[in-house]
Amino acid sequence: MRWGMAIELKRCVGCYECVLACKAEHFLPPEIFWNRVLIGESGKYPNVTKLIYNVRCNQCDDPACVKVCPTGATQQREDGIVWVDEDKCVGCRYCMVACPYQARQMYEDGNAQYFPGQELTEHEKIGKELYPHKPGVVTKCVFCKERIDAGLEAGLTPGVDREATPACVISCPTKAIHFGDLDEPNSDINRVIKEKHGHPFHPEFDTKPSIYYID
Amino acid sequence: MIQRKPYDFMVKYQQQKDWVDGRGNFIAFAFFLGGIAGGLFLASAYFDNLLGIFIAFLLTGLMGASYMLHLTHPMRFWRMVVKPGTSWISRGFTFIMLFGLFTVITMILMQWAPDATTAITTFKVLAGIFAFAQSIYTGFAVSYVSAIKVWNSAIVPILFVTCGLSGGLAILLAIMVGQGSAQIATLENIIRVVLIAFAIIVAVYLWNATYSSTAAKDAVIRLIGGVLAPLFWIGVFLFGIAIPVVISVITYWVHDASSALLITAVVSEIIGGLALRFAVLKAGVYEPLLPSD
Repeated sequence: MRWGMAIELKRCVGCYECVLACKAEHFLPPEIFWNRVLIGESGKYPNVTKLIYNVRCNQCDDPACVKVCPTGATQQREDGIVWVDEDKCVGCRYCMVACPYQARQMYEDGNAQYFPGQELTEHEKIGKELYPHKPGVVTKCVFCKERIDAGLEAGLTPGVDREATPACVISCPTKAIHFGDLDEPNSDINRVIKEKHGHPFHPEFDTKPSIYYID
Repeated sequence: MIQRKPYDFMVKYQQQKDWVDGRGNFIAFAFFLGGIAGGLFLASAYFDNLLGIFIAFLLTGLMGASYMLHLTHPMRFWRMVVKPGTSWISRGFTFIMLFGLFTVITMILMQWAPDATTAITTFKVLAGIFAFAQSIYTGFAVSYVSAIKVWNSAIVPILFVTCGLSGGLAILLAIMVGQGSAQIATLENIIRVVLIAFAIIVAVYLWNATYSSTAAKDAVIRLIGGVLAPLFWIGVFLFGIAIPVVISVITYWVHDASSALLITAVVSEIIGGLALRFAVLKAGVYEPLLPSD
């Protein structure tokens, strides 16, 4: 089993819903983004193309971050998900330097809040209890592993059942993001990748990303 | 916090900042201190200079302190030994500890059991192996990062170890000047060879990088003609190569060179070595997400 994503770039409208869903799901502090939408332009007038790329940790099958981590804080599960054990991270930032996709961030200011000088919002208060992030450690997208694990335990199928699927995937209003098992030949994600010629970003980095993009 | 516009990720080369900005400065210092400590030990062991070995040990301690300042959770430092199979930081941490251990034993034997020559030689060789490892691993830690093309070169470890040796020899020169040693002329000859080698390696490294990838070429352009040019030309070239080479040539012809001139060369080489680490780390850039057109 190896979880992966396929993102249809032409379907993405750049609404940032996936970014907000990710922030809400994981109670991410200000300035921490596990999921980003990059919007730009390419070409010269009148042949200009708008580019919208939804990027996050590529959950590489051969991740550079796992190899360089000196403490074993960055780990890879059997299903391919790469995650950081906050209690083991020393904050050396080697993984941040080694990630060719620049998908990792250091959560530095544990006191940062969305409305400085005011009381914490209810969401922030709940987040500090339900999903406490420890400052001084590296943080990144974990493919909503908690949702996947709970879903599998309940007999659900990630990528098919909403409750077992990452927040960014189910929140996308245009269904631009597909999720599923890359090791399952008949899965929907493999069909989409095959039929629509999905490709990872920068395969030359040789980390075997689990996220495919469809132009 | 690194401020970047989202669009920059797509079409521009992104300078790595995690190992040069803020706390990142300390890892540059740690790499520099580890290099000169290793170089100083090797030089001091060759010349049988106990004070040099002791200062190499102190510099290694400073390297460890610099490392700790770089970490956001320094109290967990002991965890850094668990991944020597794949992580160069983990390997380096092991090298540093073993170097420290064997150096302490060597110093104790040299000071209090000078007749135990077999034991002294054995531990000196062991400490020397780990001094070299401590000096070169910093280069491997950097060159292992395939995401940053200007770092991802087999020349980087050679460059770092040569630079460390050059700095270590310079510090030993200062020590010998202070001690009024009779071996200064021999040491100066070694320094001349290492300096020439260092200059050649710097040139080969930059030349090679321009052919390896567009990102590495961009980094070299930034180093020699862009925003990093003052650091490279003043720090690395002037202090690290030009001034020491000129003084080295002068001392070759004028055999009784003044101590002030030699100390100038020593300080200049140390500044150059530090500048080199910062220059290489600051030059590191990531490929853009999309090719610019």
